[in-house]
Amino acid sequence: MTSLPARRTLLVLTCLVGACRDRDAGSAGGTLVVSAGADAETLFPPLAIGNQGRAITELIYDKLADIGPGLNTIGDAGFVPRLAKSWTWSADSLQITFHLDPAARWHDGRAVSARDVQYAFRVWTDSSVGAAQRSWFSGVDSVAAADSLTARVYFKQRSPEQFYSFVYLLIPLPAHRLAAIADTALHDAPEIRAPVGSGPFTFVSWTPRARLELVANAAYYRGRPRLDGIVFSVAAQGATVAAKLLSGEADFLEQLAPPDFAQLAANPDVRALPYGGFDYGFLQFNTRDPRNAAAAHPLFADVALRRALTLAVDRATLVRSAFDTLARPAIGPFSRTQWTADTTLTGIGFDRAHAAALLDSLGWRAASPGAVRSRGGRALRFALLVPASSRTRQAAAVLLQEQLKQVDVAVTIENADFNAFIDRASHGTFDALMGGVRTTASPRGVRDIWGSPGPGRGASNWGRWSNTAFDAHVDSGLAATTPDAVRAQFRAAYQAAIDDAPAIWLYEPRMFAGVHRRVILTPLRPDAWWSGVAEWSIDPALRLPRDRRAAATP
Amino acid sequence: MAARTWHRLSRDRTARVAALVLGGAALAALLAPWIAPFDPTFQPDPVGLRLAAPSWQHPFGTDAFSRDVLSRLLFGGQVSLGVAAGAMLLSATLGTAFGALAAVLGGWVDGVVSALVDLLLAMPRLLVVIALVATFGALSPWWLVLLLGGSGWLATARIVRGELRDQLSREYILAARALGASRWRITWRHLLPAVAPQIAVAAALALAAVIPLEAALSYVGLGVQAPLPSWGNILLEGADYLTTAWWLVVFPVAAITGTVGAALILADRLRVAVAGHEDDR
Amino acid sequence: MGRLVLARMLQAAAVVAAVVTAVFLLLQFAPGDPFAASLEGADIPPSVRAEWRGHYGFELPPAQRFAHWVGALAHGQLGYAASQHRTVAEVLHDALPRTLLLVGVALVLGFALGVLAGLLQARHHRRWPDRLLGALTFGGVAVPEFLLGLIAMTWLAARWRLFPVAGLASEGDVAAWPLWERALDHLWHLVLPAGVLAVAVAARVARHQRAALLGVLKEDYIRTARAKGAGEWHVLWHHAMPNAIAPVIALLGLAMPSLVGGAVLIERIFGWPGMGLTLFDALLARDFPLILGATLVATVVVIVTRALADIAAAAFDPRGLRVT
Repeated sequence: MTSLPARRTLLVLTCLVGACRDRDAGSAGGTLVVSAGADAETLFPPLAIGNQGRAITELIYDKLADIGPGLNTIGDAGFVPRLAKSWTWSADSLQITFHLDPAARWHDGRAVSARDVQYAFRVWTDSSVGAAQRSWFSGVDSVAAADSLTARVYFKQRSPEQFYSFVYLLIPLPAHRLAAIADTALHDAPEIRAPVGSGPFTFVSWTPRARLELVANAAYYRGRPRLDGIVFSVAAQGATVAAKLLSGEADFLEQLAPPDFAQLAANPDVRALPYGGFDYGFLQFNTRDPRNAAAAHPLFADVALRRALTLAVDRATLVRSAFDTLARPAIGPFSRTQWTADTTLTGIGFDRAHAAALLDSLGWRAASPGAVRSRGGRALRFALLVPASSRTRQAAAVLLQEQLKQVDVAVTIENADFNAFIDRASHGTFDALMGGVRTTASPRGVRDIWGSPGPGRGASNWGRWSNTAFDAHVDSGLAATTPDAVRAQFRAAYQAAIDDAPAIWLYEPRMFAGVHRRVILTPLRPDAWWSGVAEWSIDPALRLPRDRRAAATP
Repeated sequence: MAARTWHRLSRDRTARVAALVLGGAALAALLAPWIAPFDPTFQPDPVGLRLAAPSWQHPFGTDAFSRDVLSRLLFGGQVSLGVAAGAMLLSATLGTAFGALAAVLGGWVDGVVSALVDLLLAMPRLLVVIALVATFGALSPWWLVLLLGGSGWLATARIVRGELRDQLSREYILAARALGASRWRITWRHLLPAVAPQIAVAAALALAAVIPLEAALSYVGLGVQAPLPSWGNILLEGADYLTTAWWLVVFPVAAITGTVGAALILADRLRVAVAGHEDDR
Repeated sequence: MGRLVLARMLQAAAVVAAVVTAVFLLLQFAPGDPFAASLEGADIPPSVRAEWRGHYGFELPPAQRFAHWVGALAHGQLGYAASQHRTVAEVLHDALPRTLLLVGVALVLGFALGVLAGLLQARHHRRWPDRLLGALTFGGVAVPEFLLGLIAMTWLAARWRLFPVAGLASEGDVAAWPLWERALDHLWHLVLPAGVLAVAVAARVARHQRAALLGVLKEDYIRTARAKGAGEWHVLWHHAMPNAIAPVIALLGLAMPSLVGGAVLIERIFGWPGMGLTLFDALLARDFPLILGATLVATVVVIVTRALADIAAAAFDPRGLRVT
């Protein structure tokens, strides 16, 4: 065993006198080791829907255009060229013509062509492939290849976000390699496990649930990335993911958890870098009876009760205790990072005495001080469903339970593993649940999560809350064409949701990346921290033996 | 014979200390509502008193919700020791019953019991319980007793079966049977009391095995439900704050190790008392 | 003898069949499917989930699904692990060797340490080495492995950087290293996980070894050996040990299931993607074919190890008694 540290020293020495010498191209170079809490489920872009899968596939593959740092989703303002060097709109906005960059190449050297765009669109929208987000393309009629470098997209109708919804997800795929494979066989084809992309990094190897390695694409059409390579080092346990960063085994961690911060303070090598956050958490009421969806919930169909309970919750204390400064109290069904967010909306606030008085006036009275309130023989008692996988929601639930106990409301916490949680949530068999949503740059997600259950909306509205004013404002907002009009409509929708209290809006976690001081990085985009990785590098003064790596050449 | 064993044990100082530790822990858990300084779920100040180090007010410190750790340990003992004691009783009962059935009836019953033993031996206990908990959601303490007890009777069954078969073939038993006493009556009245010390050894070992199992189970996050404390879920919470709040780990570990150690010592001394080696104290 | 082996094998096959069937039946009561995890938050329409369920056969009646699975098994196929987008055989092919290595090293290490501790305790019976090691074994039995693992990782790896935190190998141009260096590096990453698992094994082995030695030391022939002037270590090693080792070896076979159970938590903590982690993830993902395949393989491994331990114990037992 004693020979091993010695071996490490030896390697450092060899590096000092040998291979490290050829690293003189300014500060460029180095290998970034990312400590990841999950692995990509697949490297096939249409099926890679988790954050990890997206990060990896978007480093291997380029899109036609990328969203700008302002995260605007209306029209094409702010969007930056990628595989498409430029694009033109038809006069009626029903066609967008993308002009591909003639220098763009697949990692095997073939030129990226309009046929690849056409093929990708077909794969993404073919239900036998099973792409989860194909509804994003429901406004697109077809894609045609006018010539090898010109792809023309025909839309069924105009919509403010038509550009965003086409380019944000769609990743052109190498038709010359994949078109021969049947669509149904794509998800486990060997070609998918060793992807050939068009992006700044080339795939090297993948050991599922352990490690994935990418190397700089020297022939990248937008210039070779500054980093030599990226390694995703996977561990399932949160403490392990953080320990890798703290020990210096990894350089970057996408999101630090609250317990990691105490250790960070004592570690001079690692800093926490805030970059917004698209999440918000809430306690969602079920407005329908868990045993009979046709009937109203005996407690939570009553908006006055929902509001009174909201009034009894001290969110500032809850957020401080569960997150310290790593979250802010939530305002409504949105995240502050979304451009439609409005921090001036009036919430229900916190006033325990007033809440108790309200409950009294609603007829929910405690027989004796400290006893659970009841009305007409029914106790004010409900079960709160919490996914066991989320420590923060567990913590928030325990704090909520105690706060509601102060106004003589009894909450029983029901932990369920994630699958059971989703199963019960989607079947509506719960009283209330601790929910969390990761929004996107676009505000349109609220329609599925909070819209009244029905065609085109409310598919994931587990509490089956229904509010026509909210629906109308969301619809108008999504149809509006100027940012100001969109904002005004969403402001009204959000206010309607706050007033009608389908949920107690609890917290908005702020994302903090953990970054080792070796890493020289660009600003992190809240929807995709990896968007600028090609510009990152490792400080030459802090290189380690593990940074040695040769760039790939096609 | 058994009486001599019990007598020897009662004069064993080490065994007395171990029994005292176990009894003390059980008593403290039972008296928790009267001796605990705080309500174990009470959060006096979840921001200001969060993770407070031990002090006069909170001798064992507070947890991430500002709850008193000492009170939680005392109440947690009710769940942890209660589940362990229940599982121990269940496994001793099942083990004795299966062992006696196999020994007395023999033949295919013996075969079925030994196949059951083989089956359970092949199953990783922790894994099975984790699997059940992960698939069906959190289990109530009663379910835990059932699961842990239902999977822990193998050792007892083997001991009882071995001892009984040995005894049943002795001449005085054969003589008693010739005089018309039934095998069951002999087993119940004479043989089982004689193997009681061996059963007690197995029971003490079962107790020592179940307490850490409950703690390990909490790791999945689906052990005993919040806000009800158990030694396992206090420990799990502490695992998040290993470097910053040692009191969340040290005290529950001390409680677990203390009771497990006491149970193991008791089992060892019992075994010595059974063997009757007066010199090995 | 041949008939005995055959009977034993048939019995083992029956146990495997019973375990797998029991697991399958239990799974029927578990809510969810492999496609839930991706649902929350993401805007995935329930219709897509329904499609996926159909595609992977989740809409078939349970009996039919089990029949399909058994039928495929007869052709040597374990099915498709939807949660990992590859076949169950591929997943297990990766995971099984890692766990065998982890558990094997833990078993050997734990056995060696345990026997050593037991010897020391018996040699210094009722003096401080006995008491100290006795207290340590209590800790080894009592402290849950996940906590030991986290403590080892937090201090030995992250704080003092004596060992790697997690993973299978070091980063860098490892692929270019000579084979023996890569092997050493792999073992280097194994020290903490195997060490933590070995603690529990060592504690149990030490307790049994000590008791067995103390029992044997009272036998007449030991007194004879001592009377002849043999040193205490000589007596322990050459006279007592041969008679005390067999039950301890048999214990190793019995330790296998609990080691596999412990491996679930340890593999998760130390990022060692073996059978334990695979099974744990598969359970949470409700990946039925993967759960069944992993259970099948794990049960076979446990049974084979136990049989091997029994044979070894019988071989080591000078009295030629059959130990179970």
